[in-house]
Amino acid sequence: MDIRITAAPFDPNAECAAFAADRADAGALVSFVGLCRQETAGRAVTGLTIDHYEGFTQTQIARLAADVARRYRVPDLLVIHRIGPILPGEAIVLVAALSTHRGDAFEAVKVLMDYLKTDAPLWKKETGPDGARWVEPRQDDRLRRAALENQA
Amino acid sequence: MQLVFLGKFGELAPKGLASPTLPDDVRTLADLKDWIAGQAPVLGKAMALTTTRVAVNQALVHDLSRPVRAGDEIAFLPPMSGG
Repeated sequence: MDIRITAAPFDPNAECAAFAADRADAGALVSFVGLCRQETAGRAVTGLTIDHYEGFTQTQIARLAADVARRYRVPDLLVIHRIGPILPGEAIVLVAALSTHRGDAFEAVKVLMDYLKTDAPLWKKETGPDGARWVEPRQDDRLRRAALENQA
Repeated sequence: MQLVFLGKFGELAPKGLASPTLPDDVRTLADLKDWIAGQAPVLGKAMALTTTRVAVNQALVHDLSRPVRAGDEIAFLPPMSGG
């Protein structure tokens, strides 16, 4: 399990390659990369800033990842999440799972991303030509989170 | 005691609130929230209008009747928006 919170830009492809290196035991690598968009709901976005809670953010994400790894029998997960200022086109988050078969890896990545949206102690602020605004969790993210709770 | 205000709460919290001197009648987390609202009404209103989670010494606490202690690190968290 590799959980990283970083203020520095990272290369998701290089990180995935390193994660899967020397893992001939795994038959599937599934990854998701969340990118900073240049517009949202018709508004231009010139950048994002992500606030975090030193120490707590890392331990909470590690806890969520451990829970997902156990539920979906995924032996290894990688999470890299940016904090601080981020520019359009840059990766915000990478979640990757290695497992024996693809089904568990797909599910683990999807569910962990759902949890990161609502339960990772991170706070996004979007900046655009009209100023800055804090991003509120989306209703569909909340509903997905509630559905996960019902399955657990 | 250290108070930590995250996300939009951090922008609304006056600097002096990070290491507050609390009156004796602030005994619980609920008392502390009320006291903060009195000290910083704009912040208090923002905390009342949304789902505010509280962490004490880096663990989420749901029962606001928990007593506050001198060495506590108490954080106020607005709804999270990671990913």
